[in-house]
Amino acid sequence: MAAQTLILIEHDRRQVKRPSLHAVTAAQQLGGDYAFLLLGKGLEEMAKSLTGHGATAVLVADDAALAEPLADRYATVIANAFQKTGATTLLATSSTFSKDILPRAAALLDAPMLTDVVAIEEKEGALSYQRPVSAGSMLATVQLKGDKRVLTIRAAAFAAPEGNATASRVENLAVDTASLPNGMQFVSREERVSDRPDLTEARVVIGGGRPLKDKETFDRLVGGLADSLGGAIGATRAAVDTGLAPNDCQIGQTGKVIAPELYIALGISGAIQHLAGIKDSRVIVAINKDPDAPIFQMATYGLVGDLHQLVPQLIESIRKG
Amino acid sequence: MIAMDQSVATREVFGNIAPWMRVLFFAMIFASIAILGCQVLAHWISWRKGRRGGFEMNPRIWLERLTIYALAQKRVHKKTLGALLHLLLFSGFVVLTIGTTLLAIADDGPYNFHHGWYFLIYELVMDVFGVAFILGCLLAMYRRAFQRKPSLGHNWRDWWLLGILLALGVTGFAVEALRMHYTQVQPWVAHWSTVGWLIDRTMLRGIDVPTAQAMHLASWWVHTILVAAFFATIPVNRFLHVITGPLNIAAHPERPMGQLVPLKMETVEETGLIGVGQIGDFNQQQLLSLDACMECGRCEDVCPATSSGKPLSPKFIVTDLRGVMANGGELHGVAINPDTLWSCTMCQACVQECPVLIGHVDLISDMRRYLVGEGKLSGPPARSLQQIGNQGNPYGRPNGDRLAWAEGLDVPTVESNPNFEYLFWVGCAASFDPRAQKVARATAQLLKKGGVNFAVLGKEETCTGDPARRIGDEFLFQERAQTNVETLGRRQVKKIVTACPHCHNTLKNEYPQFGGEYQVQHHSALLAELIEAGRLTNKAEADAKPITLHDPCYLARVNGEVEAPRTVIGAAKDEQFREMPRCGKKTFCCGAGGGRMWFDEPPAQRVSNLRAEEAIATGAKTLATGCPFCLNMMSDGMAGAKGGQNVKVLDIAEVLLSRQPPTG
Amino acid sequence: MTQPIAKILVAFKSVPDPYEEAAPGGSGSTAKSVINPFDEIAIEEALRIRERGEATEIVGLTIGPATVDEQVRAAMAMGVDRAIRIDDSRALDPYAVARILHAAVQKEAPQVVLMGKQAVDDDSNQAGQMLAGLLGWPQATFVSKVEFLDNGDRARCTRETDAGLEVLEVKLPAIITTDLRLNEPRYVSLPGLMKARKKPIEVLTCEQLGVQVEPLTTTISTARPPKRTAGTRVESVEELVAKLKEEAKVL
Repeated sequence: MAAQTLILIEHDRRQVKRPSLHAVTAAQQLGGDYAFLLLGKGLEEMAKSLTGHGATAVLVADDAALAEPLADRYATVIANAFQKTGATTLLATSSTFSKDILPRAAALLDAPMLTDVVAIEEKEGALSYQRPVSAGSMLATVQLKGDKRVLTIRAAAFAAPEGNATASRVENLAVDTASLPNGMQFVSREERVSDRPDLTEARVVIGGGRPLKDKETFDRLVGGLADSLGGAIGATRAAVDTGLAPNDCQIGQTGKVIAPELYIALGISGAIQHLAGIKDSRVIVAINKDPDAPIFQMATYGLVGDLHQLVPQLIESIRKG
Repeated sequence: MIAMDQSVATREVFGNIAPWMRVLFFAMIFASIAILGCQVLAHWISWRKGRRGGFEMNPRIWLERLTIYALAQKRVHKKTLGALLHLLLFSGFVVLTIGTTLLAIADDGPYNFHHGWYFLIYELVMDVFGVAFILGCLLAMYRRAFQRKPSLGHNWRDWWLLGILLALGVTGFAVEALRMHYTQVQPWVAHWSTVGWLIDRTMLRGIDVPTAQAMHLASWWVHTILVAAFFATIPVNRFLHVITGPLNIAAHPERPMGQLVPLKMETVEETGLIGVGQIGDFNQQQLLSLDACMECGRCEDVCPATSSGKPLSPKFIVTDLRGVMANGGELHGVAINPDTLWSCTMCQACVQECPVLIGHVDLISDMRRYLVGEGKLSGPPARSLQQIGNQGNPYGRPNGDRLAWAEGLDVPTVESNPNFEYLFWVGCAASFDPRAQKVARATAQLLKKGGVNFAVLGKEETCTGDPARRIGDEFLFQERAQTNVETLGRRQVKKIVTACPHCHNTLKNEYPQFGGEYQVQHHSALLAELIEAGRLTNKAEADAKPITLHDPCYLARVNGEVEAPRTVIGAAKDEQFREMPRCGKKTFCCGAGGGRMWFDEPPAQRVSNLRAEEAIATGAKTLATGCPFCLNMMSDGMAGAKGGQNVKVLDIAEVLLSRQPPTG
Repeated sequence: MTQPIAKILVAFKSVPDPYEEAAPGGSGSTAKSVINPFDEIAIEEALRIRERGEATEIVGLTIGPATVDEQVRAAMAMGVDRAIRIDDSRALDPYAVARILHAAVQKEAPQVVLMGKQAVDDDSNQAGQMLAGLLGWPQATFVSKVEFLDNGDRARCTRETDAGLEVLEVKLPAIITTDLRLNEPRYVSLPGLMKARKKPIEVLTCEQLGVQVEPLTTTISTARPPKRTAGTRVESVEELVAKLKEEAKVL
């Protein structure tokens, strides 16, 4: 079961989350072999689905005590597995799941950790890692000391792995339930009805203004573009006032202040009220039919034209990849 | 004609009243006045729980104010039933009180002057004002029973008061008529007491003297008991304002409307107190002012917060605080909700309306200061204040970008043109708000066309601190004020022109508190001067569409500038100019003042919606204004209102610039 | 609950003001420092818990040189009862921070440690979880709601996860890290800050705490990603998508 990199796989109790596998590409860049680690209850099918990705082994900790991802138990089991495999890198794709559990495991392993790695480079024999800091406005290059490390990588920065014909073995890890921490208890889960992320935390936000006319158009264009990019939807105060979008979508001085990596403003002229809420966005795209709209002064990229034509084209173009 | 024997032209006073009854009479009257006195004293003691001072101490100002606001009732006059009935009641009450006092002096004084021509005219005057008084009571009852204006407030005490006043008037005439009947006054004398005489001639016909005497005695007692009851119950009903109103009118401190009272850091360090946390943290004059309120509701009628459905009524601020003063208890969060205080736009409409000069905005400002000091402010307004502190403007934009609006205009700065006459104070909105930037551009172009020698501060300019002061962070304001006064001093600024009424107000009325004395003009005033000097033209094109003007509160009401913006858009000569019902000093707020610009507001509660509808109703196709915040709010209001999409919202400078002939 | 929690420790970091845009051409190093916004939310929550009568003492804790005292004062002005600064001017990584906090927590023995889910300068999102691991305490991360149950023996926390909301119960003592939607921190006015200026700050060193840390991560460089050129007009959707992919690298 030895491997140089141990990749923690995330699942939703039914299937493996695809972005989890992007860590394979990072593991390949790190060099050496890698094993998968899967924790939970009733994992047989999922473990099988992981055998075609070139891992030396698929380690499975399948126990009722691990039915819910409680950080204290999970970190303990993961740290034990890491030591058992003799791995030097513990790796996962960034998510609230991995960010909750892996730092705790890193502390148990007495290892340094980096989150949200977007690039791995080798310079003069030493590995260095790039990761965004200050809400994505800066890119830091970092080196690590010691012989162990814990990393989470951004799925977007590492490609999905290609399939590998060599089937991996599935190995069960014995879980000593009695020795697991017992201070945390799962109560309930309420999954978001919409798949869209929270406005203030989304990496991509699509904002809509009053020229979208009615709610149906707003949902189709703003919502459609948001969904094609996995982004959140936002709106100007004027759009909220006229009922195009709910009040909690309002971005601006008196609404939410956002700082996404990409903000796309559809039919937004650029009232100060709104600009105050988007000024910290890294890239701003404006699509508006008025070439003199103030939003263009702030936009990284401006496109003048009719929303009703351009936005469906844009959605189509993004869908195609 | 019957000979007029002047000696019969007089009346008896206590003729029908036995000596023991007279003693009882005086005992009752003095007892009721004593009860009144004690209760007023109790009020006095409760006012003294406040911080010392706050009173206007100049007797000449007292006299002036009492003449204008108490005697001439300046603030009461309006074209309403309420104003009319108040006039009747007020004049009736004043004349009848003076008359009764004169009677007492004549009867018990060393020299009885109560006869002859004096007596006849006295009787006539008393009858006329007695009728006025009764009419006033009846109208008030009608208003209470049928109009039931909600802002007036209704409770059983009001009926008690009106009932007792009406009964006093009616029994007064009954006593007069019965006295005349049994003393058989000669007709030529009786005619002067017209009402009594008419009652005598109609209702008392055929009643014999002893019966009349008995009836007189009975009604005299009823009248006397009513008088005693009236005095004793004054402090528990609206009538108290007859005493407290004039006191507050005299005592209210003389200050420009747009100036808030500065706090001293030393005082804060000494007392550990910022603003008003407990009722006793108000000053004594403020506590007195609470008791001056007679709950007429005029403040509420003009309040933009009340009319847009926010949880604020200036009247309830006063009466709720009065409740705490009288009965004790917690002020913040119990008697007064923080949301109530944050709802105020500080438009000063209530202050302008109040007949007894209550300073609602000062009360609210003091309580806001406490909330801010206690860390009860969070969310968007907190962010704006932080940005004023950190970046020097509420938008949180780099202060170095202050000249972005002027790109391509070659606007002179204090560095490129150090010998400027006017400093053009641009303000944060016009520096950073893309819409207001156009106003700054228009203003600068007009100043150039008009040949004005001006300059701008560029990145040396920072927020005046107005939003900080109105929201309640007095010391952030003072920090800004000191910085700006220092900058203006270094640049030797004497005359300032600005397109923002809030900057205008703060620079003009509040910076002198920090040693900054300038001649400050709103751009409308300077532009009007340029028009009058013939350097700019305000002539509208022949086919111009209807235009109306929204007066910014801090320009018109607070600083009295009503004519200049009208001159700039050529209102006097423009047949297409439409005035809104609420205009000039009686303008209606856009909803942005008092720091409200920086608060989140549910769409249904936007003041600008109401104002937009009012403007649309005039048929105007252009709404001109003179404030970047009004511009912002009214644009939003128009966009949401029915028919508002066809109305352009412009600054007066933009209107004026469009009327200038093209120059080479 | 009847028995208030005796002590809540709030750990906070001083960071450059995230709302301050560096002046054009400037280095950005002159930016004012503020309390990390997520930590400010943690402080606010501790204060609200105390204001509800569910906690007795709020202790603030930070690590840094004397220059961060201004943020310590801001925390005190918000209402923190007393504050400790661990004097260390090195560029520490989250694990080093967690180890120092670990030593301080053992000394102070609070029932709850509250801190932001991440600092907005390095965006690591690790220190709280690491501290929990070192202490062996339960943790609730990315929390948007906190309630105390059973006389303050347990806390029920709502967490914001990628999929939605998750409710956990943790036994105290525990670490809670705060997310954006937990609350809106109160505004600290100037007099509040000035009053706080008089309160003493307890300054400790790692030596006094008996902890020796050596950061294991080294930042070699930080660079601004290709700066956005304001107002580039594109002519078509194709050109836009190409720019977003190749130039801005956001797709």
